[in-house]
Amino acid sequence: MKNSWTGGETLPQAVDDGGLAVAVHRCDPGAFERLIQRFERPLFTYADGILQNAFDAQEVVQDALMRAHKALTRQYDEERCRQLALRPWLFRTVRNLSLNKRRSKRSSLEQPLESFDDGRLGPFVHLEGSELERKEEVELLKRAMSLLPVDARELIVLRFMEEMPYAEIAKTVGASEAALRGKVFRSLKLLRDALEQKGVAYAM
Amino acid sequence: MQCRAALTRIDALRTRELAPIEQTAVEQHLKTCRSCNESTEDVDHLVHAVKALAVAPPRSCCDDVKAQCVDSVDRVGDVWVAFSNDGIRMISTGDSIDDLRAPYAKRYGRELAPAPIPAALRKQVEAAVSGEGVDAPKVDLESASDLEHDVLQTLTRIPRGQVRTYAWVARQVGRPRAVRAVGNIIAKNVVPFVVPCHRVVPSAGGVGNYIFGSSTKRALLEREGVPVDELEMLARDHVRYIGSKTTHIFCFPTCRDARRIQDKNRVPFRDADEALEGGYRPCRNCQPVVAA
Repeated sequence: MKNSWTGGETLPQAVDDGGLAVAVHRCDPGAFERLIQRFERPLFTYADGILQNAFDAQEVVQDALMRAHKALTRQYDEERCRQLALRPWLFRTVRNLSLNKRRSKRSSLEQPLESFDDGRLGPFVHLEGSELERKEEVELLKRAMSLLPVDARELIVLRFMEEMPYAEIAKTVGASEAALRGKVFRSLKLLRDALEQKGVAYAM
Repeated sequence: MQCRAALTRIDALRTRELAPIEQTAVEQHLKTCRSCNESTEDVDHLVHAVKALAVAPPRSCCDDVKAQCVDSVDRVGDVWVAFSNDGIRMISTGDSIDDLRAPYAKRYGRELAPAPIPAALRKQVEAAVSGEGVDAPKVDLESASDLEHDVLQTLTRIPRGQVRTYAWVARQVGRPRAVRAVGNIIAKNVVPFVVPCHRVVPSAGGVGNYIFGSSTKRALLEREGVPVDELEMLARDHVRYIGSKTTHIFCFPTCRDARRIQDKNRVPFRDADEALEGGYRPCRNCQPVVAA
């Protein structure tokens, strides 16, 4: 199969993240294109989750990818590329750039997750409600998400949209797995509360 | 296990990420606690719903990024030429593009894609490879240091059919003692032919080393009309400069002004001091001594 960027032979389809990092380091034909194909969408979802702005998120992802290319080809040696946990590393880059951008754009309007009361961690109430259309449900969820503090939002994206294991989330956001389990649960609870606050019973 | 502890672990339980002992404890708790069971179901539903929120970027940045990460390569005559929009970046005499990829990755950190070379660059490369001079070659050496830049710039001023010494290049760039450093930079010239690194020879005589071997360097110089054998004879007699009795100017032996001095007027010099003491001044074309 010919590669659309370079006309050379493409990498094997099943190359793992470590192999991909090394291939990018060696500037193998099409290696970086493969990296973009694999990570652009998830990284964008994450950046958009933090920034709530598609334009900014796109800019951040592009910046992050350029930085990643520079680091992999010019700064890291081959051994470091092989050892690199590529996915958390890319997500952490996007996270840092997103938070920088967010900080520069406005003072934080949302409360941090820690300030929410987690004393009463009662069970979720099983909600009764009418059957909602799938689209409405998504819209509703989006609005509820936008009400969450940024650290809750980012955890929901990483854990449930990207389906990252806790070990990788820990590397991405820099917290222990045990702490993250509590934070993830509280984030979910906040999301559920936000859905309730909107006065709409969330149909389960 | 308390409800509170169990609830924070039900998500990790779904994906089997708990330590075995914790997993057993949570499973035990869920067997007995009805409300936690309901919460588990709620979490499952909510998690399922959230998955649909993943969004695609409005426009892939693939092409923008590509422009930064990929340069072009094309075949010109017998050589491969890597180039960017700003000029020639590397020349290789290898058989396949792949011979160029690794050194290119090392120096520039970019991929190479075959693309037609602009006509102007093609002309320059053809002229250079065939031994004709190239005026102001369009080269793009992004990561070159200041010294590297100055050295390569100086090389482009050595005319076809003439040679200079490494020491001369070092003096020209204002670093007269950095002859070795200059030699290393010239040895690593990534655009041979276009930047004529083959026109620099050791002060001690001989043609010196070359990326493609001394014999290639010798052949290239002879093709350009450098009297290599004659130079070697001069070197054996420790003659570095030639002066003219009529003008009292001294030059490098290959300088076009030196080569038209009549035999009866030629005066050999071992070094610049000897010439200066004899009342000779350095040639303004080949500049054997940098004007103070």
